[in-house]
Amino acid sequence: MSWSEFIYFAAGSLILWYSGTLALYKSKKAMWGNLLIAGGILLFAAFIGLLWGSMDHPPLRTMGETRLWYSLFIVLVGYATYLRWKYKWLMAYSVVVSTVFVLVNLLKPEIHTTNLMPALQSIWFVPHVTVYILSYAMMGAATIAALIALWREEGKEGELFALIDNLIFIGFGFLIAGMLMGAIWAKEAWGDYWTWDPKEVWAFITAASYLVYLHASYANISKRKALIIIPLAFIMLMITWLGVEYLAVAQESIHSY
Amino acid sequence: MAGKSKGKQETFIRELLFILAVTIAGFALQFVIGTLDFAIFAWPVNIVLAATLLALAFVKPDSFVGKFGSGRVSVILLVSITIMSVYMGLVPGNDVKHSWPFAFTYLMIMANLALTIGRRLRNFKLKRDYSFMLNHFGLFLLLVAAGPGSADMQRYFMRVAEGQTEWRGEGEGSQTPKELPLAITLNDFSMEEYSPRIALIDKTTGDTQPLGKPSLIECEEGSEGLISEWSVVVDTFDYRPRMAPRAYITATNKAGNSVVSGWVSCGNHFQPFSVLDISGNLCFAMTFPEPKKFTSDVVVYTKKGVEKKGVVEVNSPLTAGSWKVYQYSYDTRAGRDSEISVFELVYDPWIIPVYAGIILVMLGSLTLFWRGGKKE
Repeated sequence: MSWSEFIYFAAGSLILWYSGTLALYKSKKAMWGNLLIAGGILLFAAFIGLLWGSMDHPPLRTMGETRLWYSLFIVLVGYATYLRWKYKWLMAYSVVVSTVFVLVNLLKPEIHTTNLMPALQSIWFVPHVTVYILSYAMMGAATIAALIALWREEGKEGELFALIDNLIFIGFGFLIAGMLMGAIWAKEAWGDYWTWDPKEVWAFITAASYLVYLHASYANISKRKALIIIPLAFIMLMITWLGVEYLAVAQESIHSY
Repeated sequence: MAGKSKGKQETFIRELLFILAVTIAGFALQFVIGTLDFAIFAWPVNIVLAATLLALAFVKPDSFVGKFGSGRVSVILLVSITIMSVYMGLVPGNDVKHSWPFAFTYLMIMANLALTIGRRLRNFKLKRDYSFMLNHFGLFLLLVAAGPGSADMQRYFMRVAEGQTEWRGEGEGSQTPKELPLAITLNDFSMEEYSPRIALIDKTTGDTQPLGKPSLIECEEGSEGLISEWSVVVDTFDYRPRMAPRAYITATNKAGNSVVSGWVSCGNHFQPFSVLDISGNLCFAMTFPEPKKFTSDVVVYTKKGVEKKGVVEVNSPLTAGSWKVYQYSYDTRAGRDSEISVFELVYDPWIIPVYAGIILVMLGSLTLFWRGGKKE
């Protein structure tokens, strides 16, 4: 299995996901939608599994590889949240976002380096990155929910507040878990658990921004006003994940591979 | 109602002004004495500071000092440290992490945490507060141990040649060797590499072909692949000790039916590289072999008489007494033929509380999955 076969798996999964989401809206029985979406998830996961098998190390190193996981996780999170809260729009949104990342991977792969440098050969590698990406997926979903809530009239946010809080609390749990696993790993690999490396600085900014949201009610900030923090925090998250290497400070980073 | 909210607003402004005043004082100090010398927190200052902060947990929540443990204060402090960190993350070459305003904000966050933990403890209900305590006490412990605690950390770099014993090291950014409380004998340094690869390169730009989607072929005898419109076979691959790797390759152009063959090599510190030209701009070349694993077989001796034999490699340090020995580097010019190994030696007496804090917050983050957005 290699990246050249990605297009077939990706196309198959996307077709299943789109038709499944459409079935959720149109069909009276949720079963068809569920089957199609689950089929798409299995197909996509199969590609990752086969790619992993052929590479001898988890495909988690390059940007293209992390986007691959994000494409899967965003759909998984969207689907799980749909099952729990019955928000069809969230399912539809996560499929659209997943499509964007699939397209980026097809058009600008950044997948050519496959040799794993010694510092990355650690048991912490897989949990550190997957937990982070899972968190990014939840925060992405929370951001969309927050924008929709803000777009609606005040007082008509419905159950969105509860949904957003759930996503942010759980996503934040993953975010912190990812950060701390990174710290333990850094101590093993580089001799220090925290060095304010640019990637670490931005991870800290991201976590602190979400903490502001989580504590906003204590500062008498209304639920609705606090929603504005969510897209801002998500911008910080995007800088941490994708933006740091384009910043001037990136030359000082030990996180660039 | 209106009066109450006005009162709250007044406290908010008072707290904001206080934090602002402390931060400005930090800027003033920064201006007058310059960068904070972190060594001032070295033992026993850090332990006294930790005890003082912990004592804040016993302050009455309604007292003047106790009010600093409020959620409002934590929000102001979080916003403030976020702004400073954004500066840290945007401006190259800054030293915010060693600045007075940053240190003061960090200190206020620790104080705020201690006070808020104290307030919860006065009316502690396990079922309601376990998540809060894991997260907040864990973070407090982590901040104290990783902040002022880290002033006791010592790190040195030591170069050792194969068969030699070394006891001198250099501090970070320093060139003067210093006698260290431990010595290392390097029995053997060894290195595994990934195979080098064959690439098609545009000599004028240095870009690997095809543009944007480069394809590379592993250098192993008999391996073959397709680069642009060339089908490439590695006929021989030869990599002897102390010599640069070289490969004899044959490339066949699918369209023009032209065939080229010859030696390519990436060269090393004493042998030049060689490429196989196929047109004015394009040539086949070999990439440098990338390190896969490097290992030092060592014996570490401490002044207290501990003698420890072992293997040090990246991601797997060796512990000797209260020191940890990390595989840091080697003679990169010589690559796998390197006869020296560079170690990083770290003494970190606060690592136990750091790990304890990490574990507590980790458990705390698990409680977040469990509870979701449910309010306490």
